[in-house]
Amino acid sequence: MLLEVQNLNKKFGGLQAVNGLAFGAEEGEILGLIGPNGAGKTTVFNLISGVYTPDSGVIRFQGKNITGLKSYQICIKGICRTFQIAQPFREMTVVKNVITGAFSRTADVEEAKRKAEEVLNFVGLGGKKEILAKELTAIDQRRLEVARALATDPRLLLLDETMAGLNPKECDEAVSLINKIRDKGITVIMVEHVVKVIMSLSQRIIVLDYGTKIAEGKAEEIRSNENVIKAYLGEEYRRAIRQ
Amino acid sequence: MKISVKSFTRPRGYVPLIGLIFLLILPLFLPTYFLHIMITMLFFAFVGEAWNIVGGYAGQLSLGNAAFFGLGAYGAVLFTHYYNISPWVGGVLIGGAAAIVLSVMTGLACFRLRGPYFAISTLAIGEVMRLVFLNQRKFTFGAEGVTVPYKGNSLLYLQFVSKAPYYYIALALMLLGMYVTWKIEKSRLGHYLVAINQNQDAAEAVGVNSMRTKQIALSVSAFLTAMGGTFYAQYIYFIDPNFVFGLGLSIEFALIAIVGGVGTVMGPVIGSFLLRPAMEFTNAFLGATYTGVHLIAYGGLLIAVVMLKPEGLMGWLGGLYEWFLKWLPGKEK
Repeated sequence: MLLEVQNLNKKFGGLQAVNGLAFGAEEGEILGLIGPNGAGKTTVFNLISGVYTPDSGVIRFQGKNITGLKSYQICIKGICRTFQIAQPFREMTVVKNVITGAFSRTADVEEAKRKAEEVLNFVGLGGKKEILAKELTAIDQRRLEVARALATDPRLLLLDETMAGLNPKECDEAVSLINKIRDKGITVIMVEHVVKVIMSLSQRIIVLDYGTKIAEGKAEEIRSNENVIKAYLGEEYRRAIRQ
Repeated sequence: MKISVKSFTRPRGYVPLIGLIFLLILPLFLPTYFLHIMITMLFFAFVGEAWNIVGGYAGQLSLGNAAFFGLGAYGAVLFTHYYNISPWVGGVLIGGAAAIVLSVMTGLACFRLRGPYFAISTLAIGEVMRLVFLNQRKFTFGAEGVTVPYKGNSLLYLQFVSKAPYYYIALALMLLGMYVTWKIEKSRLGHYLVAINQNQDAAEAVGVNSMRTKQIALSVSAFLTAMGGTFYAQYIYFIDPNFVFGLGLSIEFALIAIVGGVGTVMGPVIGSFLLRPAMEFTNAFLGATYTGVHLIAYGGLLIAVVMLKPEGLMGWLGGLYEWFLKWLPGKEK
């Protein structure tokens, strides 16, 4: 087990955002995390990546306890995340954005630059290296976000709604990119609302509602799970797949 | 970057070289008063560079840099006064070390805050230091200030009868400040500072220890600023807490970098070379006729720069410089 989460809890005031959550991610898999708005998906990411400290519970990565570490320490350990709303360094060029990520593994400027260029070619931003990040389109900013994360050489990548707002063609590109990332041996956990995409990409899906896990399993199992249909997919989805 | 004879046949190589030679021979024919203005320009360019590391690159608007400046100044003067120790030791080493210690304490307390809250908290640090030195009269002489013990011409005691040696030391300080800044800009540290400035959360997410990175920047800035304080004390021969720890000085450091262009190597130099002569000349021409009018003129200049070029003069002058280079003989690569 690459990542192991046990009995995770996080409360904001009176709201129990994550409630006794337990799950794990196997090395090399793409794990989907779905659920209605406010189910606690992003909070789970923030807890794993060290933005928040959990109230209780344990997070283990490669067998080591990483609960309560700061986000930069967790990045160095090999977990990197992207943000739901892209957070590029707006006034920096694309390549410098990615170099910043690469610096987490080397202090050598030339080496960081080589790494950044390699990653940019990998995500398909090779031709836009010298453009300022703020001038990129929304989809390219997402690509940049992924590139910057990949430059830190993660073992585990957390993708937070990377495909929100993309058109079908862009979605297909994103799907093939995520498959390529997995083929490099990087484990991926993704939060996604585009159900079709997550069903096709993920070997395993976890469904959250009110901070707890209401279902877990393969795409087909999730699709026909009564609780999931009630809480998230909805009756229309059931009718749609029956046809 | 490799430097060879060939690099000086290109405008980008020989223009700075001509500028440097010009600055080196300037004391030979400049009258004393103008030499004094040049010294303040070079000196404020240096402390502006020091501020720029933390205030410009890292975007942490420090309004307490006078605290470090005062430690360098008082370290130099008091150690000479009490123990007959050279200001190189008392000011640069001991004062500089004290400034680094204070910068770590400042960092621990203030870097938890962001934006204006950080600025206000550093302002408090400067004021605390000013009050401490004002009130510990037995040791610091309080508001009376201290005079540098006279030692005659002496490099060891950093005292000179003529202005030319001060000029060359100030020039060396400015070049040191530019070199340190340039080195930082090219390194991982400089990269991280800019990243923190633009988006601290995103920087943390890709492995940047923002607390430690900002701390290093502040400590480098503090040490250089303390060096500036030592030089100031030895040049003016007199210091008092209200000036060397004063808020006015802290703001001046920031203004120089902001007017010139924050986060650039040349910014503080440009800022200082514009603002210091403006301050001196308005004071010389207007100061005696109507008290305070020179401050209105100076204030007007600041407002004009901030309104017309809010990102500083560097971007605009940099473009002008590039255009100018094209007209000069010699080929760029």
